[in-house]
Amino acid sequence: MKKSKKLFLVGALFTSVSLLLSGCGEGDSDGASGDGEKYVVATDATYAPMEYMDDSGKIVGIDIDIVDAIAEEAGIEIEYKNYGWEPLFSAVQNGEVDFAVSSITITDERKETFDFSDPYYFANQLILVPEDSDVKSFDDLKDKKVSVQINTTGHEAVKDLLGNTSSSIVATETMPLAISEMINGNADAAVGDNAVINEYKKNNPDVKLKVIEDDSFEKEYYGLMMKKGNDELAEKLNEAIQSLKDSGKLEEITGFKVE
Amino acid sequence: MDFLDAIRWDIVWNYRDLFIRGLWITLSLTLLGYIGGIILGLLLGMGKLSKKKWIYYPSKYYVDFFRGTPLLVQILLIHLAIIPTIFGHSLGYFVSGVTALVLNSAAYNAEIIRAGIQSIDKGQSEAARSLGMTSKMSMRYIILPQALRRMIPPLGNELIALLKDSSLVTVIAANDILYAGKVVAGAYARFWEPYITVAILYLLLTYVFGKIITYVEKRFSNSYVPPKKKTISVTDRGRVGGIGR
Repeated sequence: MKKSKKLFLVGALFTSVSLLLSGCGEGDSDGASGDGEKYVVATDATYAPMEYMDDSGKIVGIDIDIVDAIAEEAGIEIEYKNYGWEPLFSAVQNGEVDFAVSSITITDERKETFDFSDPYYFANQLILVPEDSDVKSFDDLKDKKVSVQINTTGHEAVKDLLGNTSSSIVATETMPLAISEMINGNADAAVGDNAVINEYKKNNPDVKLKVIEDDSFEKEYYGLMMKKGNDELAEKLNEAIQSLKDSGKLEEITGFKVE
Repeated sequence: MDFLDAIRWDIVWNYRDLFIRGLWITLSLTLLGYIGGIILGLLLGMGKLSKKKWIYYPSKYYVDFFRGTPLLVQILLIHLAIIPTIFGHSLGYFVSGVTALVLNSAAYNAEIIRAGIQSIDKGQSEAARSLGMTSKMSMRYIILPQALRRMIPPLGNELIALLKDSSLVTVIAANDILYAGKVVAGAYARFWEPYITVAILYLLLTYVFGKIITYVEKRFSNSYVPPKKKTISVTDRGRVGGIGR
């Protein structure tokens, strides 16, 4: 009697666990592909003003405004999920999310693993230095310590200048951290995207810093990143981006014309 | 084997300098943090045993704070707030990293040392005192040598834990092992090869540390027999190398 009761309990446990697990599986597939109406979008909400969390925990920013406009244009529903920069790539690769928006620059290396939409924004790298610094161009950073956000295109550019494994590169988790490394004297300059650097300067007028532009940086184009072979979604997004460009709505959001 | 063919160790090899530097940075952060942590921990552990309130309470609150807050927060606080405020500028990730690890592991060591000392029977110090030793002498010659032996296993644990915890300094861009892994993972958007390499390097270090700890434990254990005197008869064994018998 006792034994059978135990067996029953074990059986009940297994059933409930398997039910739970199958429930999870269904939930996932609902989120990722679903009925083609609702799309799950991954982002790294630590990149003001492009994507960040407001004081109520909502994900907002220029990127988010653009994707909202795209969604409206394409007649789809969007759910944002904050993944963080590195997990975002594996989430797209595994099909956990439909696409990612996070100021992701379209590069040839990334194109090997992912598909991108047409560019919806362009950026260039800026150099941020203390006001009394003698740095005038990117080349002047050759014998200096430079802080960047880890694994961004700014990091790539600085790696090209100083060497892949140089110890003069201070690569931090976020751009605000990279800037504070420079302010605290751990680095002579910080390199990052124009939007973020300008936003920082605007928000901290009392910190004595100057911004240096350099034409040697390649212009970078942001794209929506999706899993390879996702042509249907790419087409849908590209159509929407094109009509936003045509109607001038994209220019309204970004403040400049994206060709 | 598609899976094995797809593995690309060359991406790790391209960044080998970063991994080698990471190994040294992790190793030196850990060892400096550990040595500093033991010295400061010894003082704090004694402080927690002190009857003087002005020694006891600061030691107690110190341990409470550093055991009660995450190391990650301590690292950020020291690197971004405390050191820049005191010195006017940052002293680099290495100084911040060592400082954080010393301060953090001292709190844990203090408790290990306090518990070790308290575990020695009161009769031991009473006997020492009755032989005419001062309380300082009885602590130094009678209590500490016995307590030290009991502290070795938990202190060894602390070394391994500190080694792994040192990976948190990656957040202040310290060029440790994990940092190298992150850079490679980001450069290629591949995660297997870099993080497996990181895991293997940590495993290598913990393995070596584990061997050293086992050796030290054996060396100071009660039943230790010096290798050269293996011929000594069984009945004599208890006396050889034993402490406090």
